[in-house]
Amino acid sequence: MSEWSIIWEARDLFFAGIWNTLVLFVLSFVAAFVLGCGMLFLLEERTRLSIVLRWVINLMRMLPFLILAYLLYYGLPQLGLRMSAWTAGLIALTIYHAAYIAEILRGARIVLPAGQIEAAKAHGFRPFRLFYRILLPQLVIKTRPLLGNQLIYALKDTAFLTIITVQELTAAANSVQATYFIPTEAFVVVIFFYWIISIALELALKWAGRFGAKRGFEHV
Amino acid sequence: MNGQAWMLLLEGAWTTVWISGIAIALGVVIGLVIAMVRMARIPFIDQILVLYVSLARATPLVTLSLFLFLATPTFGIAMDRNTAAILALTLNTAAFNAEVWRSAFLSFSREQKEAAMACGMTNGTFFRRIMLPQMFTSSLPGLVNEMSFLIKSSPAIAVIGVVELTRVTNRITAVTYEPLPPILAAAVLYMLIIGALLKLQAIAEKKANRLAM
Amino acid sequence: MSDAPAVQIHRLSKSFGGIEVLRDVDLTVYKGEVVSVLGSSGSGKSTMLRCINWLEEPDRGTIRIAGTRIGVDDKGRKMNNRELAAIRARTGMVFQSFNLWPHLTVLQNVMESPIQVKGMHKDEAHAVASALLEKVGMAEKADAYPFTLSGGQKQRVAIARALAMSPEVILFDEPTSALDPERVGEVLQVMKNLSAEGYTMIVVTHEMEFARAVSDQVVFLEKGLIIEKAAPEKFFTRPETERVRRFLELSA
Repeated sequence: MSEWSIIWEARDLFFAGIWNTLVLFVLSFVAAFVLGCGMLFLLEERTRLSIVLRWVINLMRMLPFLILAYLLYYGLPQLGLRMSAWTAGLIALTIYHAAYIAEILRGARIVLPAGQIEAAKAHGFRPFRLFYRILLPQLVIKTRPLLGNQLIYALKDTAFLTIITVQELTAAANSVQATYFIPTEAFVVVIFFYWIISIALELALKWAGRFGAKRGFEHV
Repeated sequence: MNGQAWMLLLEGAWTTVWISGIAIALGVVIGLVIAMVRMARIPFIDQILVLYVSLARATPLVTLSLFLFLATPTFGIAMDRNTAAILALTLNTAAFNAEVWRSAFLSFSREQKEAAMACGMTNGTFFRRIMLPQMFTSSLPGLVNEMSFLIKSSPAIAVIGVVELTRVTNRITAVTYEPLPPILAAAVLYMLIIGALLKLQAIAEKKANRLAM
Repeated sequence: MSDAPAVQIHRLSKSFGGIEVLRDVDLTVYKGEVVSVLGSSGSGKSTMLRCINWLEEPDRGTIRIAGTRIGVDDKGRKMNNRELAAIRARTGMVFQSFNLWPHLTVLQNVMESPIQVKGMHKDEAHAVASALLEKVGMAEKADAYPFTLSGGQKQRVAIARALAMSPEVILFDEPTSALDPERVGEVLQVMKNLSAEGYTMIVVTHEMEFARAVSDQVVFLEKGLIIEKAAPEKFFTRPETERVRRFLELSA
């Protein structure tokens, strides 16, 4: 069992990795959610900006996350824009997942009956208030399972950042295994951590589902 | 970017495509087998499969690739980079495909089975002639969707040194000192591959909708 | 066995979760007869029909198709799936919700069972299926997929599919209940034609006109019991029970 005691000795490295992964994940997803909702609002009206946004969303759907991270971290310095791997990772996560969140919400938006929007307009709602108070809450409730999947994808995408040298959870396992030559134990530990975080997220989502069920939204 | 850089880039694209292609083919079949075994609800084996699907869906491919490539030699299994990459991608995509197949199994209508029984078909004939063909059609959109997700996660295998379409941009930059062109070119190639899959998914969806009478 | 009745039901009983839906039902249907089964919903009429080809397993009683017992052999041993399938192949069934196979064309829906179950050659099955589609007036839709058809058209295809097995008896489970009112007539017309051709049919239905015009026997079920069994003239003009009188008044 000496391998496991080495893991225990190296616990600070793992904790630093988890902390970094969680901070990146939470910050980027919150930002992505806000940005995604903002994109959805801008898509409400057909403007030049909304056409550009549609392009950006479709572009992101056809690109691997790592390519975006490469673009920000390795590509932009050529244009004189230099940032740390951590910052590049955070921005890449935010932009990438914002596009997916906007697309998920848009999918629910186009099948939403027009009647209740007209009802809100008839009550004198202005566009932003109507979007924020009437549209967005139901879209989020309805797309909960898809947003939940996106949450898990975002968590897993943080691991890509190890390739652009961010010291997150997977990087922690890699450096422990490289120092002590105990790859099996090191990776079993981090896979276990990813698994626990995913399960916690899924339970939280299930719990959030009751919020929708109470309001009569079917199987959300 | 000169001609040699483009050649390298295309080689990277080819590596992405063939490794992902093998993993997709294996993953679709293994996913089906898992879904069928799970439908039989064999105690213990069922729990093992649930655990596998849950773990595989939660583990990032980067982590899984590193784990397989670095840990297997300590068990005396020598695996080259490509094999480890294919194994990692397959283990990942099979778990997602198993769920796609399973939901198609679970949503299959009992009435069609009754119609087949009433015509004197045995369970085997029913499964082979009535159920399976429809399962292919109704699962295809989900399977193709998973294929594009697999391509999008395939850069993960760069972490164990496979020179695929993302990683190859580092190689080109090391010579040209201009990182932007190869990254943008790689992005365009990804768009072509994944765009084709998205198109295929739209076609598959149209076809699957016909089954839902 | 050639002169055995097409269907013999003897003391058939069935419960679901402690509720008796069929109680000692006896019914004999001779070759070429049309029997209409009436009754309010929940009276057990669909269950009776589904017991005949063992889609539901009865608790007690025997059922014979052209003399051969279904479900349990003469030694009292439970039949396996293969043996059950062989007897089911001698009955045809038409469902309320059509249950066509959506991945197959109209023609393939009709050809599938003769080829797969009877081992009929493809060319022969094609000829049989084409003739049957002609009979139900669906020949020009042979290559269409079910999702393009109206309810009435789907049901006519489903009838052709049942006929393709040359069954001893065709079981109709409320064949017009899921149809738009203007589509009911075309299906009933096909069924009338079949009875004129001498097909043996058991029809669970709410169509009084059809039952009156086409049946040889009318059976009325109430809470799992057959409370009246009579020729249609007698059933519709001089019913014996108060229950049937009320039923006829309400549906008139």
